[in-house]
Amino acid sequence: MDNGREQNETFIVPIGPQHPALKEPGHFEFSVDGEIVQSATARLGYAHRGIEKATEERTWVQSQYILERVCGICSHIHAVAYCQGVETLAGVEISPKAMAIRALAAELERIHSHMLWLGVAAHEAGFDTLFMYTWRDRETVMDLLEGLSGNRVNYSVNLLGGVKFDVSPELKEAILKGVDFLEERNKHYLDVVTGDEAFLRRTRGIGVMSDEEAERLGAVGPTARASGVARDVRIQAPYAAYDIFPVELVIETDGDLLARFVVRIRELFESFRLIREIVNNLPEGDLTVRMPRKVKAGETVSRVEAPRGELFYFIRSTGQEMADRVKVRTPTLCNWGSVLTTVIGHQLADVPMILVGIDPCFSCNDRMIRLRSRDGDRSWTWEDLRRYGIEYYR
Amino acid sequence: MTSEEWLKEASDTLQPWTRESSWPEEGRLDIVIDREAVLPAVEALVAARWGYLASIMGLDHGPGEGRMECIYHFCRDAAVLGLRVEVGRDDPSVSSVCGPIPSASFFERELAEMYGITVEGTPVPDKLFLPDDWPEGVYPLRKDFDMTQLEDGQD
Repeated sequence: MDNGREQNETFIVPIGPQHPALKEPGHFEFSVDGEIVQSATARLGYAHRGIEKATEERTWVQSQYILERVCGICSHIHAVAYCQGVETLAGVEISPKAMAIRALAAELERIHSHMLWLGVAAHEAGFDTLFMYTWRDRETVMDLLEGLSGNRVNYSVNLLGGVKFDVSPELKEAILKGVDFLEERNKHYLDVVTGDEAFLRRTRGIGVMSDEEAERLGAVGPTARASGVARDVRIQAPYAAYDIFPVELVIETDGDLLARFVVRIRELFESFRLIREIVNNLPEGDLTVRMPRKVKAGETVSRVEAPRGELFYFIRSTGQEMADRVKVRTPTLCNWGSVLTTVIGHQLADVPMILVGIDPCFSCNDRMIRLRSRDGDRSWTWEDLRRYGIEYYR
Repeated sequence: MTSEEWLKEASDTLQPWTRESSWPEEGRLDIVIDREAVLPAVEALVAARWGYLASIMGLDHGPGEGRMECIYHFCRDAAVLGLRVEVGRDDPSVSSVCGPIPSASFFERELAEMYGITVEGTPVPDKLFLPDDWPEGVYPLRKDFDMTQLEDGQD
């Protein structure tokens, strides 16, 4: 390494855009001195689909379905942020029962997201046994989501003015049983993650971010909470049913990769507790209330705690049947700063783990791609695409 | 402290630069400032350790009105503070806030490529989301954007 310094040579190692550490596209350039990372830059957008723009030409109802597809993992929370924002603008108050079901689905989603991450992160460390076990167990929560909504992903539980699905007595039993099983399993995973010496060597003291740094870099969610930053929208600005079913803050102070594992697994226990409380004390009431077709002019900010951290929506209505502007600021965009800073000084081999440590979601921060027709150079309008779809399936 | 008290504190901090202020809904305060005031106002908020920058977004009021807005949202617990800066549609620019808030870089890159708002002094002026061969002068989140602007020069 000393030789490298003497020669004063810096190499740039490009990683991505195909599958940089995880199966999603992003491009990073790390300049290295020997094996040690000196600086890092990012280039995103490989999964940008123009969703913000798309909401400007769709009705309030149509926009919900496209916003649910910002992310395949946290689809529910996007719809929650959007629906509660639009409901605020329209002056509509949904029933406590609908709010509780929104929170229930959000916690089930958090379990599925965190367990998926745990598997991916274990895989990056070469610990494929943990990967396979967590993903096997994650099927339990996928089945529960399917039981609630009929779908494993993109469950679309929300509706402007409430939710679509109720919790049947059978589903309640299944949820309680499933949560008990997952709690046992995750106790074991917490032991593995904090006890396996080989794994600890990949996580302990790696990618350390102090609380001050986390604040300065604008980190959110579990990434921030692993560095001792007490930030959780469910607690600071309770939405849905989180005022009736309060959340306890899960926080760690070490700020390394290990802390990010521990925070996420401990958050699962909090989610299990909340789910039990919600299904055992589900308020009575209607699932939906009536929503007007046009939404009163105004602007609103809607913030929710997605599995990866604070999700921020700004919605502006001019009193029409569609939104004037929907701004989506996803948690991953906030957390990149922490990756690009904490990798500096680390071995190149630690980069994938640090990347994965924030639980990045590329679909979240990318929201645009150009749609081109296959049979010529003309662009398709929404109307063309709709007609094509109807013809195709006729 | 309640959101109103937090926002009152922010409002006092920003007093020297405030042109107008309004309370659009519970827990939210919007403060309109001049373009030149962006950096000093943000520096003052950071110095007072008031919350964190949640997003920087653009808002196009369309060619008819001839103006756009940059909104800097700061959050502290449940309180949301919006710093609103008006810019013209021809040659719009604001100064970078990456000095006091390094994590603003991605927000500023997005603002620049989506709205054509020049962010003066931003450390990395490259595109973030749009492809490198995206045509010059085409800004997808402006209201007058249409797909025909992309006919030439794309892969």
